[in-house]
Amino acid sequence: MKLQNQNDRTSPAAGAGALPLVALDNVSLGYGSAPVLRDVDLAIYPGELVGLAGPNGSGKTTLFRTILGLQPPLSGTLVRNCPLANFGYVPQSAALDSQFPLSAAEVVEMGAYGRVRSYRIFPGAEKRRAEEMLGQVGIGHLMKKSFFALSGGQKQRVLIARALMVLPRIMVLDEPLSGVDEESRRSINDTLTRLARERGLAVFFSSHDLEMVQRVADRIARIQSGRIALEGRPAA
Amino acid sequence: MSSFVEIVSPSYLLFPALLGTMIMGLVCPLVGSYLVLRRTVFLGLTLPEIAAAGVSFTFWLQQTGFLPQLGESERGLGMIGSLAFTFLGMGLLGYLEQRGKGMAEGRLAAAYALAGGLTILFMVFNPAGQIEVLNLLKGEVIALSQGELKLLAVVFGAVFIAMLAFYREFVLISFDRDLAFLLKGRQVIWDVLLYLLAGLVIAFGVILAGPLLIFGFLVLPALAARPLVRRMGAFFTLSSALGLIMAFFGFYGSVRLDLPLGPTDVTLGCCLIFLAYGLSRLSARLRAALLAALAIALSASACAVRSEAPVPAPETVQAETVWLARVKNSTALPLILPANNPLRSLAEMAGKLPPENYRQSVMDLLRRDLQAELERRGFHIALPEDKDARFTAFSSDRDNALRVAREGRLSGALFVSEIFRWEGESQKFVRALVDFKLIRIADGALLWSRRIQRAVPTPSATHLGQASSDAVKAIVSELFAG
Repeated sequence: MKLQNQNDRTSPAAGAGALPLVALDNVSLGYGSAPVLRDVDLAIYPGELVGLAGPNGSGKTTLFRTILGLQPPLSGTLVRNCPLANFGYVPQSAALDSQFPLSAAEVVEMGAYGRVRSYRIFPGAEKRRAEEMLGQVGIGHLMKKSFFALSGGQKQRVLIARALMVLPRIMVLDEPLSGVDEESRRSINDTLTRLARERGLAVFFSSHDLEMVQRVADRIARIQSGRIALEGRPAA
Repeated sequence: MSSFVEIVSPSYLLFPALLGTMIMGLVCPLVGSYLVLRRTVFLGLTLPEIAAAGVSFTFWLQQTGFLPQLGESERGLGMIGSLAFTFLGMGLLGYLEQRGKGMAEGRLAAAYALAGGLTILFMVFNPAGQIEVLNLLKGEVIALSQGELKLLAVVFGAVFIAMLAFYREFVLISFDRDLAFLLKGRQVIWDVLLYLLAGLVIAFGVILAGPLLIFGFLVLPALAARPLVRRMGAFFTLSSALGLIMAFFGFYGSVRLDLPLGPTDVTLGCCLIFLAYGLSRLSARLRAALLAALAIALSASACAVRSEAPVPAPETVQAETVWLARVKNSTALPLILPANNPLRSLAEMAGKLPPENYRQSVMDLLRRDLQAELERRGFHIALPEDKDARFTAFSSDRDNALRVAREGRLSGALFVSEIFRWEGESQKFVRALVDFKLIRIADGALLWSRRIQRAVPTPSATHLGQASSDAVKAIVSELFAG
């Protein structure tokens, strides 16, 4: 297993010379000695929307956790060309504990915790920025609401706003459309597309719904039988 | 006695204890809030029990001679044991957690049972210090000295500052470990720091206040605050505020009603939880109005100074002779003063020794001081046994006392005293419950009565005998002062 910070592969989409933000080369990943996914070759470039499709339990979250450094790959080479602090991670909202009394604004402000030193009072500028991020995902009016009292779609948008607070170069979203109503789906899809097109962010998201991935993504990575079976532009 | 105003006065004898309790009430909920949020409430129950086992173990080692005798610094020794066991216990539980063997609740339950068992076993191995250890484990915060208060303020103050300084890190690591890793790197540092602070609070708190009170302060205010808030900042603020309320009103109730502090505080904390869940169903406006009304009612009743009537003047008693009966001991204890009683030494030196092998008791001291004070105020005092040697102690029950007095052909007034409780567990205070009555024998009129029921501070006592002697003086002085 090798972890590198440089890679000479270039993006066909981003043009010659563009480095992938994340590149996996022949990576096997999983827990213990049994790999969940084997021989993964994947590169994600700035400005592209990459969808990861696969059934529940196929290893989508494990792949994300490996990319984010939360668990090491079992073998192969993983390259990150931007610091971990620039990864905007959107977990499944169901994974967060509803015991915590947090307002939507407090959840979003967490995205700036990496920039604010301990024992400093949380800066007003970051508070305003959190409001702005909530506005950008269309729920600025809900900032004082309890996070766990929001609907599934609203929670996802709060978590996207939180990921934007870290000033990301790449967004990693784990099942962002799971348990979300149709209107919120459209809104989240629009937001992700806008982030990739207008800000040049790389967006890597997963879903067990292949049809939805095909609608949104520039490229699809499809998990089948423990391998990434398909990578390429979706059919028109 | 003991209105709010008296209790919050720095000159009040138990003021250091109140201050200590309030410091714990302020800081413990900040730590305990994380236990509630992380759903590890049982850790707050298990760690104090492990700390208690450490205290018991240290005293056993001391008794076997492995550790030196430190005399007055016994709490210091207990603190070392408490700290060592707390951190060892946390380390072991953390290691087992990492290995992921078994259920988390199962591990905590087993650790709790083991710690509770070891605490008792170490106490049994150490019969010489059994009572001392038991007192320390009960954590009589009422006996808090100035030095201990300073230590408490320093340790808990440091924990308080750290909790505020690393608030964001602790919230982040507790709520979303993955994001914490991305933003702050190795999250284990923050976990270790949080548990280190919790360990400090528990280890010091257990030796000063006992495991029950510390568990109560850690968890109950946070559980009460949870249904009332929607923001993290408000949660911590309200938890601490409820901890302060629990500490103050618990202390007040404990002193005023002569109840043990730990159980009183914990009961109050549970009432706060029920109240909070009830309030959470109401609208914000109605909630605020109810709370304001409750605060006003409590303040009005508690600020009212209860004045007790002093022993009446001789002219109002209208009796030539006041028969001062022997004080009845209705406790299960002999209440005989220890042999190193300085009063006995003085009597021996003065050649006024009582009959051979006779040792003075609390009853003797109380009656002697009462006689001296009554005579000083102009009463003509007579002792029933001087008239008839068959007279023994009188019950404070009026009918009973009257019957005995009339059968013995006494006339005038009868002063009876009965001790129901006299616990000098620590030389710093004596828990007393004593009844006094002054009865006119002719018509059976109850001229005056008084019940003293409280912890009587004896700050200058250097041994248990002196503590009893000082407590007697304080009680007699209170009887005549009103």
